[in-house]
Amino acid sequence: MTGADWLSYSLQDFLMFSPEVFLRLYVRLNQDIWPGQAVFLLLALTVPWLLMRRKQSLRRGGIALVALTWISCGFGFLWHYYGEINWPAVWFGGFFVAQGLLLASVALVSTISATPDGRKGTVWLVVGWLSAALFLPWLTVLQSGQVQALAFVGLFPGTTVAAGSLALVLVPRPWRWPLLLLPLAWALFSAATYWTLQLHWLQGFPVATLISIGLALWLSPRPAQSPDRRSAHRDPTRR
Amino acid sequence: MATGPTRRQFLVSASLTGLAVTSPGLFADAIGAESALLRSIPSSGERLPAIGMGTWITFNVGSDPALIQSRTAVLRAFFESGGTLVDCSPMYGTSAEVLGKALDSLKARDRLFAATKIWTSDESATRAQAEASRQKWGVARFDLLQVHNLLRWQAHLETLKDMKARGEVRYIGITTSHGRRYDEFAKIMATEPLDFVQLTYNLLDREAEATLLPLAQERGIAVIVNRPFQGGGLFRQFGAERLPAWARDAGMGTWAEFFLKFVISHPAVTCAIPATSQVAHMHENMEAMYGRLPDDALRQRMIEYLESL
Repeated sequence: MTGADWLSYSLQDFLMFSPEVFLRLYVRLNQDIWPGQAVFLLLALTVPWLLMRRKQSLRRGGIALVALTWISCGFGFLWHYYGEINWPAVWFGGFFVAQGLLLASVALVSTISATPDGRKGTVWLVVGWLSAALFLPWLTVLQSGQVQALAFVGLFPGTTVAAGSLALVLVPRPWRWPLLLLPLAWALFSAATYWTLQLHWLQGFPVATLISIGLALWLSPRPAQSPDRRSAHRDPTRR
Repeated sequence: MATGPTRRQFLVSASLTGLAVTSPGLFADAIGAESALLRSIPSSGERLPAIGMGTWITFNVGSDPALIQSRTAVLRAFFESGGTLVDCSPMYGTSAEVLGKALDSLKARDRLFAATKIWTSDESATRAQAEASRQKWGVARFDLLQVHNLLRWQAHLETLKDMKARGEVRYIGITTSHGRRYDEFAKIMATEPLDFVQLTYNLLDREAEATLLPLAQERGIAVIVNRPFQGGGLFRQFGAERLPAWARDAGMGTWAEFFLKFVISHPAVTCAIPATSQVAHMHENMEAMYGRLPDDALRQRMIEYLESL
């Protein structure tokens, strides 16, 4: 095909489904797992509590639960539901599972730092996470007009990615950037999809993801503030 | 040549009044006592209803039982209104599976003119893809196989010609949309033994009038028109406007009829394939197959009216 041929395509030409069918996926998954949503809601409320504990093992557990939300969302909604009508969702489902496994590995082998910036950082992390877990799910309800379309963290990608990106603030720096790639890619892909389908309420998901990523980067300890570096350069007992 | 057309031709071209006597429930909403507009396939003389059904986007509903049921109702309305030609593609996600389930429910395969496409960059996979589609539809064989958007058309068309010679498919063709690759499309039409071409033609996209439609007439190739509503764009652009009184006087009671009658009134056009997910819209679409068609003067007036809005 020539360049002119490619230019004649629009995003709409690549989406083979309608907004109605897309929103039905939320309703169907919620119907299929009812009343399992309670487990995911409990999980979403437990994560911030675990992440702000002093005990390293509890913070590890918090990150492991975040990893679980990536895996369940990728394997369930993306792979088995969305993937039926939109093949790139199958690939994203695989990437979500891989992201979850990577995050779980990081939780297992690395040090999960305490919330940076003390009390201020904790407040931002908890408020941000709870906003993503409790308010964002209603965007799909606003869009579809059906309460059965609630998008819980761990079940649906918009809330899972927005909340999960925020938790990356506690992940060691070398892992943070690779783990931000998928949230950024998903935000871009989903924003283009919602724009093409004219599901404007749902643009709140990618916007919230970008805010979460910004917040995670803002709260991250700067290299100069890094406890490791401080210990390396300023420890008066080392000569 | 298959014996199917005779039965199909009878079912469709027999007056709806006559059929309504034997199946009053089936044709409860059928369109008066008028006969459906039929067009001949030049290569065989078989006659087809001038409105078919496309499945792009509308039938890709996955395994959702409620949506499969609603699409089955759309297909039922299509058959009840005298339609036969249904067009799909492996590109359209789960559309073929959904069609197969709907056809199972309706037990309507004897009324069907089954058209699908070959859409793969693997030049050796023509037969395999046709067979995979056939199993999804649950038909004995396809009536029409088309090379989708000219993808690897040389190799696929050679295989399709062979399949036709062996009786594995009744008709073969090629497709394009959105006005893409018209020069290459015209060259293939001029040199290959095609039964059908499928292209985009509607009140706003009329490039096909210059070359492709006259060429189809000259070469005796049937024309299926995709995107007769410009993918819904015509409704988005003009749907809120009132239909002019002269259109109603000319037998076009809805915008759907207005858009479709323009398309099927072109003498080169065999069949238009609008897609819909709603039974009410299917009824509106099928209305276009009945009553008077606009003549050249009225067609020109329709163009000018839309351009004035």
